[in-house]
Amino acid sequence: MFAYIESLRMALSAIWGNKLRAALTTLGIIIGILAVTLMGTLISGLDRSFEKSMSFLGRDVLYIAKHEWFGEQEWWEIRNRPDLKVAYVEKLKSQSKYVKAAAPVTMRTVNITREDEMAMGINIAGTTPEYMQTAFLNIESGRFFTEGEDRSGTRVIVIGYDVANALFENENPIGEKVKIGNYVFRVVGVTEKQGKFLGLFSMDNRALIPLGTYQRLFSRRGWMRLDIKVDENHIADAKDEITAIMRNLRGLHPEEKNDFAINQQDAFRQQYQTMKIAIGGTGIFITVLSLVVGGIGIMNIMFVSVKERTREIGVRKAIGATPSSIMRQFLFEALLICLFGGFVGMVMALGGSILIDKYIFPSTLPVSLAITALVLSSVVGLIAGLAPSFRAARLDPIEALRYE
Amino acid sequence: MADLIKLSGLKRYYDVGGEIVKALDGVDLVINHNEYISIMGPSGSGKSTMMNMIGCLDTPTEGTYEFEGEQVHEMDDNQLASIRNRKIGFVFQTFNLLPKLTALRNVELPLVYANIPRDERLEHAKIALEKVDLTDRMHHKPNELSGGQRQRVAIARALATNPSIILADEPTGNLDSKSGGEIMEVFDALFKEGNTIILVTHEAYIAKHAHRTIHILDGCIEEDIVNHKSKARKKPRKQKATA
Ligand SMILES: Nc1ncnc2c1ncn2[C@@H]1O[C@H](COP(=O)(O)OP(=O)(O)OP(=O)(O)O)[C@@H](O)[C@H]1O
Ligand SMILES: [Mg+2]
Repeated sequence: MFAYIESLRMALSAIWGNKLRAALTTLGIIIGILAVTLMGTLISGLDRSFEKSMSFLGRDVLYIAKHEWFGEQEWWEIRNRPDLKVAYVEKLKSQSKYVKAAAPVTMRTVNITREDEMAMGINIAGTTPEYMQTAFLNIESGRFFTEGEDRSGTRVIVIGYDVANALFENENPIGEKVKIGNYVFRVVGVTEKQGKFLGLFSMDNRALIPLGTYQRLFSRRGWMRLDIKVDENHIADAKDEITAIMRNLRGLHPEEKNDFAINQQDAFRQQYQTMKIAIGGTGIFITVLSLVVGGIGIMNIMFVSVKERTREIGVRKAIGATPSSIMRQFLFEALLICLFGGFVGMVMALGGSILIDKYIFPSTLPVSLAITALVLSSVVGLIAGLAPSFRAARLDPIEALRYE
Repeated sequence: MADLIKLSGLKRYYDVGGEIVKALDGVDLVINHNEYISIMGPSGSGKSTMMNMIGCLDTPTEGTYEFEGEQVHEMDDNQLASIRNRKIGFVFQTFNLLPKLTALRNVELPLVYANIPRDERLEHAKIALEKVDLTDRMHHKPNELSGGQRQRVAIARALATNPSIILADEPTGNLDSKSGGEIMEVFDALFKEGNTIILVTHEAYIAKHAHRTIHILDGCIEEDIVNHKSKARKKPRKQKATA
């Protein structure tokens, strides 16, 4: 133990005596560790924001639409598909035993105004009160609209958190009037803050109005999606059953292909897994490459160091250093240089992850990854230091002392 | 008590590209505790080779070497390192101090390899520096010291582990005569304290400090004489001529 501490101190003072060289040598290791930790941070951050986004899409909700989320169909094939109809909702509910709730959703982008204030580019969705069950949505204040309001086409609106903030800074929006074009709506509710979907689409920058109202004021045709919440224990069965009902509604012959798509959260998951493997693979490749290059650099500089210090090694041996203590001294030197590189790389990655966290998406450096980085750089140091240290340990004392 | 050193039929051959160089060619020698010996001989006669052998830096091609009853010729690298550390103090012509360490740290170094705790190490190192009268320079690095001072640090380092023998290969070879004289005074004093010293020299006036002078020629002992008029006044306890 004692001898180890002494070897460590010798190694430290040797590195201290050659600070710049050690710092330059360790660059490869720094880059390698930076690559592995940043990549890990990125993936863990992606994971988290992905999971959060996925919470907007229920695992037990099927989204019937014209296109597949990640389909390979040609665009003209999809273009010719008929639009979905509100009437399907009642049919699905009555014919399938797995459907728990169903809501048609149609959407367009509008500007919402109130006196001098304007919220631009707001996604306004027309839907039914059952949307509260298919979407994962909470009302912050006020209420959602009712079935009666939907049927009668009342001009009521539930606004997203950001919309409320934009139009009603420090005021209570409930009961107030807003305008979409020339139509006046009464605000009945505000949804809770939800964040962004996959870091792209804000779920707070939108508004919901009754489908009846939407169809009367804007359009009865166009894009529509049916959100179907099914029995969470029979998702696959439900999907099969709903497919059958839909085919029946569309009057498709058995040999004809589906002219609609039933989408699920799983499609996103698969897509995400593929992306993650690509990012991870690239990260591992860069890491391995820079660690190998860094390791060779360390080995090279250690060979130079052993050569330069041949006389010192001779002196140490003459006054009683054993081969193993010389070996330890140089091995520790390589180890410390790498560990230092690993540490610097990790600190830089930590800084990087803070920046990513602040400007891109929530992420932190996982502790396990930090430990892995340090272990990895130590392993590189040990491997790279082995051959030079062994050479130092094996030097003949007399020849070493005579070395000029 | 066993002899301090006993060499019998000791040979050291070098194979230089097929040609055999006989650096030592059958040396028999006995050295006792508290002897003061000088080794002389022309260049290339094998003096350094013999010192390296006695100092356990090298192992013989043939013959036996006993050090305080231990069979050095049978030892492995670790055992040799240990005996060098505990029993032998080296002083080199070129000082061989580690340039980045202070005098104190240089002197401390053999004690590090002896696994002695730090406080104790510093204490021993300071005592050794006191013996060579360099306490005031102990925090200086070698390049801040004169040649003579450097050699005194080297002697202090050799003394640090309290070895059985001090070996000095041309210790004054790189010094002017004044500094050389000072170094010899240090050796004389150490001898009087009871240390055993062997030194190699080309200078007869330096050899005269010792009580016994061994002349070497072509790897063999040519002459082994007792010097009754040694400059170091104290007489060795025993004086034995070699066979
Ligand atoms: N490593 C070696 N390889 C081959 N020959 C060697 C080696 N070391 C010493 N020799 C030879 O052994 C002989 C004795 O060398 P040594 O160094 O012992 O001489 P020396 O008496 O110390 O000489 P000097 O007074 O010049 O220091 C020389 O002929 C030398 O060439
Ligand atoms: Mg010599």
